[in-house]
Amino acid sequence: MKKFAYWIMVMALLSAFLAGCGATEAPPEATMAPETEPTAAEAEPTAAEAEQPAGEEQTMVIGFTTSQTGSYNVSSLRQVNGLMLWMNEVNDAGGITLSDGTVVKFDYKTYDDESTTERVQELYTRLSTEDNADFLISPYSSGLTAAAALIAEQYGKIMITTGAASDSTYKEGYTLVFQAYTPSSRYLTGAVDLLAHVDPSVKQLAFVYENDKFSTDVVNAANEYAESLGYEVVLFEGYDSETKDFGPFINKILESGAQAVMGGGHFQDGSTFARQVHEKDVDMNYFALLVAPPEPDFADLGDAAVGVIGPSQWEPLAAFTPESAAEAGLEWFGVLGSEFDAAYQAAYDEEPSYHSMGGYVAGQILQKAIMDADSTDPEAVKAAMEAMDMLTAYGRINFDTSPEAHGLQIGHSMVYIQWQKDDAGNLVKQVVWPLEGKTADTLYPKP
Amino acid sequence: MKKQLRNPGLWLALAITAAFALWPALASNRAYARETSFTILKAVAFAASLNILLGFTGYVSFGHIVFLGLGGYVGFYLMDTFGLHLALAALAGGLSSAILAFLLGKAILRLRGAYFALATIGVNEAMRAFIKNFEPFGGPIGMTLNFGVYRAYGGPDQALWMAYIGTALLTIVVVLVSFLVKTSRFGLGLMAIRENEDAAEVMGVVAPNAKTWAYVLSAVFPGILGVLFFFKNGNIEPRDAFVLHQSIEGIVMVMLGGHGTVLGPILGAAAYQRLRGLLLVSPLFKNIQLAVAGVLLLIIILFIPAGAVGWLRTRFSRLRRVLV
Repeated sequence: MKKFAYWIMVMALLSAFLAGCGATEAPPEATMAPETEPTAAEAEPTAAEAEQPAGEEQTMVIGFTTSQTGSYNVSSLRQVNGLMLWMNEVNDAGGITLSDGTVVKFDYKTYDDESTTERVQELYTRLSTEDNADFLISPYSSGLTAAAALIAEQYGKIMITTGAASDSTYKEGYTLVFQAYTPSSRYLTGAVDLLAHVDPSVKQLAFVYENDKFSTDVVNAANEYAESLGYEVVLFEGYDSETKDFGPFINKILESGAQAVMGGGHFQDGSTFARQVHEKDVDMNYFALLVAPPEPDFADLGDAAVGVIGPSQWEPLAAFTPESAAEAGLEWFGVLGSEFDAAYQAAYDEEPSYHSMGGYVAGQILQKAIMDADSTDPEAVKAAMEAMDMLTAYGRINFDTSPEAHGLQIGHSMVYIQWQKDDAGNLVKQVVWPLEGKTADTLYPKP
Repeated sequence: MKKQLRNPGLWLALAITAAFALWPALASNRAYARETSFTILKAVAFAASLNILLGFTGYVSFGHIVFLGLGGYVGFYLMDTFGLHLALAALAGGLSSAILAFLLGKAILRLRGAYFALATIGVNEAMRAFIKNFEPFGGPIGMTLNFGVYRAYGGPDQALWMAYIGTALLTIVVVLVSFLVKTSRFGLGLMAIRENEDAAEVMGVVAPNAKTWAYVLSAVFPGILGVLFFFKNGNIEPRDAFVLHQSIEGIVMVMLGGHGTVLGPILGAAAYQRLRGLLLVSPLFKNIQLAVAGVLLLIIILFIPAGAVGWLRTRFSRLRRVLV
């Protein structure tokens, strides 16, 4: 029995350690609490409110889970920050007034999903039934969203997904799930187009990517696209998410003779990869990585960041305006990117990332759909979303309505940023693709 | 067998399990009760399965979740690719986990103590790496079940209820098997191994075989459970299928309730999951729920090392017949 006492002690310490790890991952700069927190949803359910007479205030509850702990913590909190900013702005502005005089305001309910699928369905069921959420926002990440989508569909709740780029969820027959992000199949295709634009003589590509769902989805599509354009993919290699030493992969890149490298995965591995490429002084003309480069913290790499290109769902520099909407024949909706940027920094004292804008635009999509439908009835709101084709500070929003890929985002495109040095020698992000939105020419070859 | 069935401890364990299973039928919000109850039953079935190895045999498996993940993958693949019915897929998942446990048992059950525990971690990590690179199972992308599959079961509502009922029945079977093992000659052999393996062999227990079969028995149910869980989830990825800390949670649940008892893992798993569930939605604790759960567990385990049922059995000897 002594060995059991030993194991008990080990288990206790391990569980405390794990619990501690999970609970302390929240970065101090990313806080979910809005400045003015609505509380109406906690007072009474909203099902009854939907039948209130015209002219009265109606509070719609938005339900979602947040990864307050676990590996998705930072991105998820920024996403929620964006959503909260939108909600406060709409509520502070007096809500949405429908033609019958009803004023629609918003409240929210959220729980910690711990960045795992373990309880996502339980929590979304609670949100849908116990908390009577009227609309749902997805968790962060495609895996968690796939689990939540089933619950949304079961209870007839419209779910706007953000932070969930994988194409697969929208190709499985769901009818109430609408995607805000550009699908992962189009994450790196623009990087291939940019390469063809800056140097048509390059013909050999290497893909070195994180061996996880999102990154593999992205590079598979980019690989197919590159080959369709006549590129020869000389290296297609995945690495484990915990990889810290990219030496073997860098050696393989050198051996392959690839003139351009694309891949990466998430922030930690992408940053490490970029730093080690710089430290080894690898002669690499074109280097595009997923997720990490658009993050403001990527600048901490210093010279290692210079010349690195990254796809971003949104950048403050992106010049989407009412004028560009008019030129494209689209309806403009919402604030300018610079206004969102300023409001976000004022509210949270940090630079917004595209995850923040993802949360914000999810709210905007719902707001516009309610306005277009002139109703909060889910069927009418759904129809308005299906018909939606607008331009916002985030970019174009338009959903696939075919049964094969219902809800898939087909309007929005990625922008591609590159870290460059300004005249004073400071690192700055520049939008280099698409050409109509660029703020600087591409730095090529990468120094 | 008749004598075994007359044991009130068996009926108490089954009654508690059945109460958890039937709770959604009586709750006002049946759907939410179903989801909450599913989490509890899943934990009970996993902990009770693990207890066959950990509690009865004394072998600590830190990587037991590998059986849930592998079974889930095999069943999911069969449903997704060949349209196999959930029930058959669940059996296939259980069988695949049993085969893996049998093969592993022959190899790593020769190890004892910490060496065995470390080997089980290695097995979990190796299986995750293998699945990540195994294209038929979707590699790192995993697999997503088409919504049409749920329509074949009468829609998502029916499908989720079907997964729930399957889990409830499985949990009752696990509890029954656990009791039968404990009160059988085979179970006595396992407990002899737990107390002193060398002495057990001297007394005639064929330890390698007994350990292997205990391992197989403790693996088959998580395999079935994995299919039911991932069917309900609609999506399976290596990241979610082989979560090492869920193995550790399983050990905590067994220790919390009382290792080596039938009732212990049931109470331990239910208490642990209910605690986590309540903290998760508590306005006061929801932001620090993992830390609070960790501290509470630390306190409980430090002061009641034999687990709740073990403590009650020691403190009130008259209850030993009921608290098996």
